[in-house]
Amino acid sequence: MDLLHAIQANLLSPAVLFFVLGVIAALTKSDLKFPEPLYVGMTIYLLVAIGFKGGVAIADAGIAKVWLPCLAAIVLGALIPLWTYPVLRFGGKLPGVDAAAIAAHYGSVSAVTFIAATNYLKAIDVPFESYATAFLAVMESPAILVGVVLGKLAMKDGGPLSGASLRTAMHEAIFGRSIFLLVGALVVGALCGDAGMKKVEPFFVTPFQGVLALFLLEMGVVAGRRVGDLRKVGLFLLGFGVLVPLANGALGVVLGQWAGLELGGATLLGVLSASASYIAAPAAIRISLPEANPTLYLTSSLAITFPFNITLGIPIYLEIARYLYR
Amino acid sequence: MKLVTIVTEAYALDSVKNLLREVGAHGCTHFPVEGTGAGGERAGEIKEFANVQIEIVLQPAAAQTLLERVEKELFPRYCMIAFESDVRVIRSAKF
Repeated sequence: MDLLHAIQANLLSPAVLFFVLGVIAALTKSDLKFPEPLYVGMTIYLLVAIGFKGGVAIADAGIAKVWLPCLAAIVLGALIPLWTYPVLRFGGKLPGVDAAAIAAHYGSVSAVTFIAATNYLKAIDVPFESYATAFLAVMESPAILVGVVLGKLAMKDGGPLSGASLRTAMHEAIFGRSIFLLVGALVVGALCGDAGMKKVEPFFVTPFQGVLALFLLEMGVVAGRRVGDLRKVGLFLLGFGVLVPLANGALGVVLGQWAGLELGGATLLGVLSASASYIAAPAAIRISLPEANPTLYLTSSLAITFPFNITLGIPIYLEIARYLYR
Repeated sequence: MKLVTIVTEAYALDSVKNLLREVGAHGCTHFPVEGTGAGGERAGEIKEFANVQIEIVLQPAAAQTLLERVEKELFPRYCMIAFESDVRVIRSAKF
């Protein structure tokens, strides 16, 4: 019953309803479409807003409190591809390079899923450590690097491992605009502290919900356009896209509890482990493992796992945390 | 002079630029584009999912090398088309 309530509370939030509206727009071939500068503008706003807030929270909490859960997040991000790879390779009978590419996506994270989760926790008054944004920042890259290494090892003629491909992946994973902005805003927020927060609050905090709702409308359109590709990826990836996030989410919550996080913070680590990247990882993988089939990894992360997490996943990870913290 | 036009996914831009340097092209112009093709429709609002069109003016011999290498090295890896056309260039000393 609790779970049903939690799901209901999530489904009826403006952000999720606008996401559904976006999916409907794509499915009905409506001409609704955001201009590219607006999309980019909203990503910059959302990343800077949560980065800044997270930075202020780090300044409040002190590094001593933050480093252990951050380390747990990095380890988790790097390890997820190592166990999802064999599942895809041998369970799904996928070619090695595709298995590695998908594994990289599931180890990496989705910032929007994370933001939606913080929004949800706030709406139902579950407190969480605001510095959790730091976990988002450190979890994006490790899995991509592990995935690229796995992919290169899987290909017999994939070229030298230490070659330029790893460097490009590393550059893309660390200096890609999302991670750059997020880490940059975290540092700025940590330097400014509460006094700085007061100055930017009217711009970065109050309108946040509205921008997120608008952004999820657009993400609904983008995900909805990929629904047609579901037929191409097969039943195995459909199941994978739902079950693996559930397993990773539970793992993240357990690790969060072990690292000493509050219930809300552990839920967020669960959400991060469960989420799959669909912007940073594809960009890095397309360049470093161009042999992998983009339809497989983009469809599973964007058209299966992302909608699942946004609607049902987030409240489920919260309930898992509630069960563990009883 | 030849104008080589390459239409490809945004992810391929860096690889194309590297190749251009190697064949001695002096510069290029690229812009985001939308369209339809073998891979279905490509919308442009997310830069990473969009297509780019790259245009390069070259000496005929360099254009030939470029197209051969694009076909051999990049076609297997990316969604891409490439074609050349004859152009009359006013400031030909630049190329």
